[in-house]
Amino acid sequence: MRFFSIIIVFLLLASSVSAECRDKDCMPNERVVTEADQNGGSVIVSGFEIYYDNVFEIGTTWFVIFEYGSSHANGSLEFNFGKNLIKNLTLQYDGGIATDSVSFSGTSFINEEPHKKLFVNFSSEKLSWSVELDIFVNKPPSEDMIYLWGGMTVFWLGIGAYVVYLSNKFQELSDKSGLGNGDRKKN
Amino acid sequence: MRYNREIGFIGFFLALYVLYFSLIETGPAKFFTAPNAQKLFYFHVPSGLITYLAFLMVVGGSAVYLYNQSEYADRLAKSSTELGIVFGFMSLASGTFWMKAEWGGDIVSRFLTDMRLASTLAMWLLYIAYFVYRRQPESVIVKKNAAILGLSGMIMVPLSYLSSRFLRSHHPVIVGTEDQGSLDPSLRMGLYAGLFSFLLIYIFLFQMRMKLEDFERNLLKNKMERV
Repeated sequence: MRFFSIIIVFLLLASSVSAECRDKDCMPNERVVTEADQNGGSVIVSGFEIYYDNVFEIGTTWFVIFEYGSSHANGSLEFNFGKNLIKNLTLQYDGGIATDSVSFSGTSFINEEPHKKLFVNFSSEKLSWSVELDIFVNKPPSEDMIYLWGGMTVFWLGIGAYVVYLSNKFQELSDKSGLGNGDRKKN
Repeated sequence: MRYNREIGFIGFFLALYVLYFSLIETGPAKFFTAPNAQKLFYFHVPSGLITYLAFLMVVGGSAVYLYNQSEYADRLAKSSTELGIVFGFMSLASGTFWMKAEWGGDIVSRFLTDMRLASTLAMWLLYIAYFVYRRQPESVIVKKNAAILGLSGMIMVPLSYLSSRFLRSHHPVIVGTEDQGSLDPSLRMGLYAGLFSFLLIYIFLFQMRMKLEDFERNLLKNKMERV
């Protein structure tokens, strides 16, 4: 009974709740926009920052958060994975630090791609830049496999536990009656 | 019963074959949201049907006991209750896993709003009550009360079985409908093999339980005689 109770409590608690986080604090990766200078190095383009997760999980909506705080930010921003997988954003700078985001559907990709390039292009009247993000498109294992194994385990555990219960009970009664193993078989 | 061990072995190996058939022989199911979890079908449906069989045997045993105080009928009802609880647990738990994968959503609210799930859980809990009640020392009044409780399955079993046909429920209905005939032949073969294997396992466990009950009662009888 204790075993059944544990399983039931587990099943009740198993209703997983997951919310998509669109906050920049949830993003594990951050990229400050830079551009090449004349000496071959890179200089920070002030006021532009990209927050993202470099793992794109197929089946889950993927977000990119863009933060800007420059008066040069009035322009258009393009996120381009190639093959018509493009999202555009028009930025209107009103002062301070502003945030905007775009999302890509979880069905944008079908297969895994280890180093998928996401080109982020910005252009305005006074400024234009382009950065390249390295994204790992990941296909998670089929979620229902967990349920399949969970469900299948129940059958074998159920029958197994009951056989053990019967066997223990036989043993207990044999001990009470004072019969040995050989005598018990006769019953 | 002779050949009980053989029946158990055949049932067990047939269940292993159904496991192989469902997981390896047939690929992921088409037209399902959760194509892998659909494989639970081959054991979930048989365990559900065996649960009904076990509880119907409790009803039969209880009715006979109330009619003629047959000790055999009482043993039968008591033994079958335990097996109904085990197979019912298997059916409910596997169904919960499958439901979570296929339908999603909150498990608790599903059990409260879907009449098939609610009535099956209620039936199972009723026999848990029977099982708990029978854990006290045996007496005529205990047996009689238990038989009355056991008879309530006369309402609960048909209610659970028919709820998905006539009451509000998302639970699919296959057995006894036109859909049964239109099942894919491989699906039907797996289902029948699963049903047969669980039936054999049920017979094996039932015989074991009856033997145990007999042993326990004889032991008690001998002790009383000595006193």
